[in-house]
Amino acid sequence: MATIIQIDPTQQLDPFKSVKKIPTHEFFTSGHRTCQGCESALVMKMMVKAAGPRTIVLGSTGCMYVANTTYYSTSWVVPWMHTQLGSSGSAALGTAAGLKAQMRKGKMKKEPINVIAFCGDGGGADMGLGAISATMTHPDYNLLILLYDNESYANTDIQLSGSTPWGANTTFSTPGTVKRIMHHRWKKNMAGLMAVGHPTCRYVSTICMSYGLHGMNSIRKALTIGGPTFIHSLDPCPKGWDYDPIQSHELGELAVQTGIWPLYEVEDGKLRLTGRTQQIADKKIPRKPVRDYLLRQGRFAHFTNDDLDYFQSKIDEMWTKWLIPGVIPFEKDLAADNPPA
Amino acid sequence: MATIAPAVEEKKSVEKTALITGAEAIAVACQLADVDVITAYPIRPYDTVMQYISRLVSNGEMDCEYIVAEGEHSQFEIVKHASAVGARVFCGSSGVGWMYAMEALTVTPALRIPMVCMVGNRALDDPGAFGTEHNDALTVRDLGWMLNWVDSGQEALDTTLIAYRVAEDRRIFLPCAISCDGAFLTHSQSLVTIPSQEKVNEFLPRYNRADLLLHPDNPITVAPQVNEDWVMEIRRQGYAAMERTFGVIKEAYADFERIFGRSYGHPFFEEYETDDADVVLMGMGTLSTPVKVAIRQMRKAGKKVGFVRMRWFRPFDADGLAKCLSRFKAVGVIDRDYSFGSPHLGGVLAGEVRNALYPGAGKKPPVLDFICGLGGREVTIPDVERITDSVYRAAEGKQQPLTQWIGLRE
Amino acid sequence: MGRLFAVEIVYRGIFQRKLATNISRAIVLAAHLDGKPGISFGRYGDSPERNGIPAKNFAIVATDEQTLEEGKAKYEPKEVDVTICVDDTLCKGVESWAWYGLQPINKLTKPGGTLIVVSMEPPETLIGMAHSKNTPYNLAIVKGTRSFSGLWVFKDDHSDVRIMGAIAKVLPEVFSLNAIKQTIQSEWKDPVKVASAEKSYNRVTKLAVKPGQGNPETPYKFELPKWHEMGEGVAIPCITAGKQMEDPTTHVMGGIRPDRNPTFKKFSTRTMRPVVNFETCIKCTLCWLQCPDTCFDVTPEGLYDANMEACCGCGVCEAVCPVEKCVSMVAETEFKDNGSQWEMWRKDATGYLTWLNQKIEKRPERSHGFRYKGQYQEQVGEMLQIAQEG
Repeated sequence: MATIIQIDPTQQLDPFKSVKKIPTHEFFTSGHRTCQGCESALVMKMMVKAAGPRTIVLGSTGCMYVANTTYYSTSWVVPWMHTQLGSSGSAALGTAAGLKAQMRKGKMKKEPINVIAFCGDGGGADMGLGAISATMTHPDYNLLILLYDNESYANTDIQLSGSTPWGANTTFSTPGTVKRIMHHRWKKNMAGLMAVGHPTCRYVSTICMSYGLHGMNSIRKALTIGGPTFIHSLDPCPKGWDYDPIQSHELGELAVQTGIWPLYEVEDGKLRLTGRTQQIADKKIPRKPVRDYLLRQGRFAHFTNDDLDYFQSKIDEMWTKWLIPGVIPFEKDLAADNPPA
Repeated sequence: MATIAPAVEEKKSVEKTALITGAEAIAVACQLADVDVITAYPIRPYDTVMQYISRLVSNGEMDCEYIVAEGEHSQFEIVKHASAVGARVFCGSSGVGWMYAMEALTVTPALRIPMVCMVGNRALDDPGAFGTEHNDALTVRDLGWMLNWVDSGQEALDTTLIAYRVAEDRRIFLPCAISCDGAFLTHSQSLVTIPSQEKVNEFLPRYNRADLLLHPDNPITVAPQVNEDWVMEIRRQGYAAMERTFGVIKEAYADFERIFGRSYGHPFFEEYETDDADVVLMGMGTLSTPVKVAIRQMRKAGKKVGFVRMRWFRPFDADGLAKCLSRFKAVGVIDRDYSFGSPHLGGVLAGEVRNALYPGAGKKPPVLDFICGLGGREVTIPDVERITDSVYRAAEGKQQPLTQWIGLRE
Repeated sequence: MGRLFAVEIVYRGIFQRKLATNISRAIVLAAHLDGKPGISFGRYGDSPERNGIPAKNFAIVATDEQTLEEGKAKYEPKEVDVTICVDDTLCKGVESWAWYGLQPINKLTKPGGTLIVVSMEPPETLIGMAHSKNTPYNLAIVKGTRSFSGLWVFKDDHSDVRIMGAIAKVLPEVFSLNAIKQTIQSEWKDPVKVASAEKSYNRVTKLAVKPGQGNPETPYKFELPKWHEMGEGVAIPCITAGKQMEDPTTHVMGGIRPDRNPTFKKFSTRTMRPVVNFETCIKCTLCWLQCPDTCFDVTPEGLYDANMEACCGCGVCEAVCPVEKCVSMVAETEFKDNGSQWEMWRKDATGYLTWLNQKIEKRPERSHGFRYKGQYQEQVGEMLQIAQEG
């Protein structure tokens, strides 16, 4: 059965053992027109540092396109090509297919080349969801789709997306005198969706580059394992979230420590909670209250105590009632487990 | 610099004749052209080409990545990116499927991607209909696509090979859409000569993306964000490439004739019975058959009518056409399309023809526009006769409506 | 003949966006009260604005509609009567996007025009920071610390109205004090804001800057290529790999200095820069790793030198550094060039440490955006006090 899938070898990227073992070569360098403290730019830097020079990057429209290649310039050292807002799935697939065909037919030197397509939460989890989903079902192509989530359509000056947290201030969800909470949709569970919905996809994970070594090693694992893979990164955004850029690193940590952003990976069908999330689940460290994170950001400055309580209750629910916190939002029907004798 | 590709074992085959549809003819051309990546998505009437290709792939007659996309936008984006890394690609759609891909279609020529596509011309929804109409392909006419209309299975096969040759020429690197009328061409079978692989190899060099290849050995950043300081210059490059297509197309047809022994005469448009014609009709695609039959009948009755069939809509050979049409007393353009609100509320082709004539130094015959055959409605011989009568009246100096609807129940 | 007035506001993108818009709108509204039509607009090329990246807002006012049209016909005014600089570090020059080059703060200031700067620094410092012109201009200082907010929460510390009061004083032909007072009252309905504007009007003075005074350096600029000189297919070459660094005293080669985008350096985004203590550094790598802008050069001995041609001053390095006072953010006005701190230290370790301690000592409390709910209300009082003291 397995021989029906014809897959090419991937690069063998072993995990970096420590921060001191991280190579100093840069494949995404300085000179991009991103905000001060832009964690999405940090994701780009770490992403290609983890991938190495034999990599092709496809960048869909968004901050990491407009800001990084601003006005006919570039910060990329590895080959990079723009793709459309909803096209990260197609771009990765097309690139991988084009390389594979030519290598098989002797038209191109055979070597494993990393193919990474990135998308923002708007381009990926909203518009490009269909294309990414389709690509995740193709077992024959080695590729990684990396979704960098700054929780808005940031490049167009901050509009809400399906990944914007409940109640956040954006230009499409302005708190007003009659409607204080314009955005009352809960954040889409994108990584869980990818993991559960595509059983032949070998690797899905969530990361946050405030935990840089963990994030880079997740990327290396995805590129090594073979087949289509998906990684969802949460990146604090000083512009959209409204905070002093010096807090960028700390807010990433707080997102994880409050349990709002669980870190996990699904590798060949096995789920692992990772990093601080695992420590919270094992009760080795406390889960911090969400207000420690929310009140540091201007986009939640209009929150009342009721709003904060509601937000906390949803995170508590995720941690105490979900089958797997952050991954599977179903409750088990406990009564059915204990039928009367 | 780009990697030098290792040699491909040259395949061999003999020339043969087959009874195939226009769609299958294009599939065979893709096989001969050794296309690398093809994406499919179902919509009538183009998609039989993809069904044929599926069989070619599964029977080992064709080696390519054959990917079924989840929508036309993705379908065209996938092959666009495969082409960027050096793969020869083929794609296609019809009607609103082509419209669904519009964002991808827009960026493809600007990125100088030499994609070759088949458009199975189909009426645009709403109302949904599978019959032929040319508006779908015409929608991209300003964006840098080469656009061609074929009227036979043979021409479909030949033009596909020519399209790869021209599109992938480094001087050009523009995509080409080959339009085939739905049903009439896509689904009807005719005898087609399939050339030998050796001859195709001689005519069609391998796709070499050269300095624009996206590969770690050639680190480039493709399509950074720009502003008003850059857009005009980038568009000017597209203009220059399109300017060069005239010459490259002529070269390709000359070579085609030399190698395959089949001549298409003047590449950009076909002239039928125009040597001594008083008036001519114009059109694109398979309406050529009823028109030619009608012309033969009218000539028997003493009317000297000719027909000019545009093959290449983009690039549009305006100088050639103006010179040609200046010989006639009046011109009747049959538009199997519409352009609501355009000058004289006419169709697209008539507008282009008038545009081509206007600046020229030669004589400018009156040009009448006939909207006909929309949504797959047959263009009948009586329709053509009615059109010709009106054109003759214009030739005699009598006032005729600039735009007329033919074959309409009214 | 009509008269056209142009005012530009040069500001830190996002942080001072609302401030700049408040000012440019108020100029037009006040001028309108005095019978002059006008328009206000943000410069489209700056959009989308990014935190800290210099941006410009304009207000064009004319004595009549037809003359106003002359102003509207241009994308951006070629010269202005008043340049308002709401963050004094912008006086070192602004680079707003790639290929823009470094443009002097006073580039558009017409001969005899006025540069109004919000600053706590003395005039000599500001004049020294700005590139010299070969025509005279005036400098007016509105005393205060830079006012930074964000997209959603605005720090209403009266910076906007104090600047408007200053404009009325230096360019009375655009609008009178009365007009601006009326505008402020009708827009904000706050008599305290009106009073702030009037106080500023009374206090502000102009100082003449002579031709040739200022920073003599020629700021870098770029020649845009012609259409046939540009690569086809919208493709440009990627940035090359970096090179090793050379120790200035031992000439040992090692480490890596990455190559960087030559057409957008980004250092003019800085309001403050990190000063690194190489002796207390424990080489944990975190500053280098977590810098979103890849600013740190790796030295041959494995230390991390923040490259001042690239650093945009976000402060994340200071936040992640585990050693106290090893990386400290210091106001950009304290520095005169972009020289390498590591090279300075390698050449004279003792001298460097003295210099470093002196820089760190004088650090004012930074205000670089929202840190917690209620913070701005606390800070506003402090800024109003400075305003009172003039």
